[in-house]
Amino acid sequence: MRIIWCIFAILVLGACSLPQAAAPVRPDQLQFEPLVFEFPQVQRARLSNGIEVYLKEDQDLPLIELTALIGGGSIFDPAEKTGLSQLFAESLATGGAGDYTPRQFEEKLANMAVDMRVNSDTYAYTLGMSLHQRDLRESFALLALLLRQPRFDAERVDLACKRLIEGVRRQNDNPDALASRLMAKAIYEDHPLGRSASQLSLKNIDRDDLLALHRTYFQPQNLSIAVSGAIKLDKLTRLLQELLGSWPNGVMPDLSPPQLVKKPQKGEVFVAVKDIPQTTIMLGQPGIEKNNPDAMALRVANFILGGGGFNSRMMREIRSNRGLAYSVYSYFKVGYRLPELFMASCETACSSTLEVISLMRAQMQELIDNPVSEEELRVAKESLINSFVFAFNDSHSIVTRRQRLDFYTYPADYLQTYREKISAVTVTDVQRVATKYLHPDLLQIVLVGRGEEFENEVPATLGLPTQRVELGIE
Amino acid sequence: MRTFLWGLFLVLLSQNLLAAGLAERVQEVRLENGLTVLLLERRDFPTVSAYITFRVGSANEGLENQGVAHLLEHMLFKGTQLLGTTDYAAEKPLLDKIEQLGSRIDSLKNDPRADLKVLADLRDQLTEVQAQHKHYVVKDEFSRIYAENGGVGYNAFTSKDQTTYLISLPANKLELWAAIESDRLKNAVLREFYVEREVVREERRRSYESSPSGLLYEALIASAFTVHPYRHPIIGWDSDIENLSLREARDFFEAYYRPANMIVTLVGDFDSPAVLQLIRRYFGSLPPGKEVPRVIAREPQQRAEKRVKIRFDAEPSLMIAYHKPTMPTRDDYCADLLTDILAGNKSSRLYRKLVIEQQLAGSIDIFGAPGSRYPNLLVVSATPLFPHTTGEVEAAIYAEFARIATELVSDEELSRARKRLITDNLRSLRSNGGLARLLSNYAAVGNWRYLVDYEEQISRITAADLRAFAKRYLVATNRTVVQLQREVQ
Repeated sequence: MRIIWCIFAILVLGACSLPQAAAPVRPDQLQFEPLVFEFPQVQRARLSNGIEVYLKEDQDLPLIELTALIGGGSIFDPAEKTGLSQLFAESLATGGAGDYTPRQFEEKLANMAVDMRVNSDTYAYTLGMSLHQRDLRESFALLALLLRQPRFDAERVDLACKRLIEGVRRQNDNPDALASRLMAKAIYEDHPLGRSASQLSLKNIDRDDLLALHRTYFQPQNLSIAVSGAIKLDKLTRLLQELLGSWPNGVMPDLSPPQLVKKPQKGEVFVAVKDIPQTTIMLGQPGIEKNNPDAMALRVANFILGGGGFNSRMMREIRSNRGLAYSVYSYFKVGYRLPELFMASCETACSSTLEVISLMRAQMQELIDNPVSEEELRVAKESLINSFVFAFNDSHSIVTRRQRLDFYTYPADYLQTYREKISAVTVTDVQRVATKYLHPDLLQIVLVGRGEEFENEVPATLGLPTQRVELGIE
Repeated sequence: MRTFLWGLFLVLLSQNLLAAGLAERVQEVRLENGLTVLLLERRDFPTVSAYITFRVGSANEGLENQGVAHLLEHMLFKGTQLLGTTDYAAEKPLLDKIEQLGSRIDSLKNDPRADLKVLADLRDQLTEVQAQHKHYVVKDEFSRIYAENGGVGYNAFTSKDQTTYLISLPANKLELWAAIESDRLKNAVLREFYVEREVVREERRRSYESSPSGLLYEALIASAFTVHPYRHPIIGWDSDIENLSLREARDFFEAYYRPANMIVTLVGDFDSPAVLQLIRRYFGSLPPGKEVPRVIAREPQQRAEKRVKIRFDAEPSLMIAYHKPTMPTRDDYCADLLTDILAGNKSSRLYRKLVIEQQLAGSIDIFGAPGSRYPNLLVVSATPLFPHTTGEVEAAIYAEFARIATELVSDEELSRARKRLITDNLRSLRSNGGLARLLSNYAAVGNWRYLVDYEEQISRITAADLRAFAKRYLVATNRTVVQLQREVQ
């Protein structure tokens, strides 16, 4: 990019003409040329049976990355079989495919140094592969086998189930994971977004459930493939057509999630006792989904509240001014299909637990009660706008972002208009959305730590009812 | 600003840098004042990752200032005479007063004969002066300026051997980085020290005292070493942190944060000659300073197994550490290959035996720790699968080690491990940040060219070398075993 050279040339000249003893220039008074930035192009194709293919070619290294995305996921787990999607993903990855036993399949991947992972998310399964370009054909053939003819070897399904049960046994080991689980349960109760697998629900699942799940969701019209790296589009589509083109479609599965029942909010405190010197604090309440017209204003508001790292108020007040925590933050998790959570979290010494909760709530209240300063708004907006270029900093995130935006049916110009929308947010907007979405008196609060040392004071200090959560590993 | 477990990152890199044409693209320049500059142009995206690494870390501390490298790293985010203040001249007397009160409190608080009333009075005075001082503080200005200019990943980390300050910026903002970072080195003001010390204590509680894996790891390292300063936690023990002084932080800064120990690494979209001029202009006037002295403490040979059990409210877990030489010795390359053969993937020996076949373990992992400049450890980390015990997992691990020490690994396994190491290295080059991290990392503990001949080095390691390594190092008298569980008998 020639323009970069020009910028430096100008600065260097300037430097030469400056006397050595000139008053120091504040770094924020430097002037910069505008960044020349074009949206990277993602190439697209469609196989004969409807599989969407995305490519961001990148010849810098002899590597190819692939992400297959299949509609489905944990939102469709039946209550009595919670954990089904996780067990499915683990068994798919380890259960062999086609004529290959699990061991043969693993050996083949290992011989090529291919990385392969299968994940189950809320609304989708993803199958990721990273390979050297010389192994293209053989790796993709294994991928096609896994998508079309997984074996779900019975012994491996059994092992996968044992390992997930071990995960349940270990679910209370780390305070943050424990707090997140309790928070989801407090807010969503028995909706799939609030459930987590138990030993019993995992034992309820058998191999037939996995086969049925595969039949329902794994079909071409419900699948897209995003690829980045050292490959050309015509070669990629030819190969994928050859491996996957003959795969027939069945009935398109219903991907609409179970409805969320709106329940009246009330503030509550849940205390889980764990003998550690620091309390994990988590505040939560229902948040928003992606089509919410206030999403961008909330992004800016949350930057100021607790999303902007050292530039956020929570960090400033709790860490920087008072030394009460190492980490403190807040975020709105924008739900793809259903509203997800507003969360704020922090860890502090047992003795300062209630003080920190009060400070966090006070920051929420402040955002409601008083307009933010123009300067704070400017920093938040410029940070979000100027860092936007990093959304395109590596080829695979460029191509998977396109894939994801399409899968969740974002508007076609979502990325193109992102910066304008952030730019349009005003001081009034911030206060309006804070008032609408933040309810410091109606929070669900989860505390993990030496509860006996502070729980008696919770009702008086926070004005909220408190209950102990018994921790089990059933 | 995190303490970092470096082990995992220091294991790898390769000749494929050459194959990918990258080795020729790294430009290494030494400025007159000793500053090392590594530049690598990558024009695909209009961004730059910038790393500044100092060849100094917690291993260079003494008994009296343990934890200072990391605390200093935090303090260097507090601004300069130019940034972070409304008026430095007016602020300075208050800073002096705060330091005076703080050090008196620190000297009295550990004295059992101290007059508690005097102590309480001093604390009140300190609070009062801190409140006055606050009027001059402009909070987190570095962070604000980087953020509004689109910087991401503004952070720093401290390891045993090095300390690194990093940021990624839109390509048109590189001069901002040079201006801020050089100002930080020339005019740093360590303000709000006593508050930040409390932040670090919270960090310690979070990362070690409330985390089963953090606690286990800390106990392992502290037990495995007897003499070498690698034994101390990077963050320091709690009593270290609460007694660190401003003077110690300042001395450490002035002694070591100098061009002689400093590596600037830039990867991304820029023009090298222009950037070099920029770096000269901003960093060229820093006085060279002296190199960090080598640690002379040498860990004596371990003569008996060390075994520690720690109690924590979590399901059982296990770590086993073996002393071994560090890079670039032949033994260290052996350790890389064995790591992959034993636990690199689902077909590796320990995973296959313990997780898939015997179903004794839920997870198993091997990595190098805790640093890379001095002889270090090969660490095995595992969790048992209920109802099996850490003891059963341990025994199964030793059985596999015994096989490695007696039978030669097959050519197939060896070449698969080589291929895996080389391909993984390639993967770590994908992002500008990843590449900058690797270059600065290897430059800090040795030479980044280590990466270039890596493939050749590992291709020379034979199955007999691996057997010899296992025979020599993977033995009971050379190991430290730490088990974490709810109840300890």
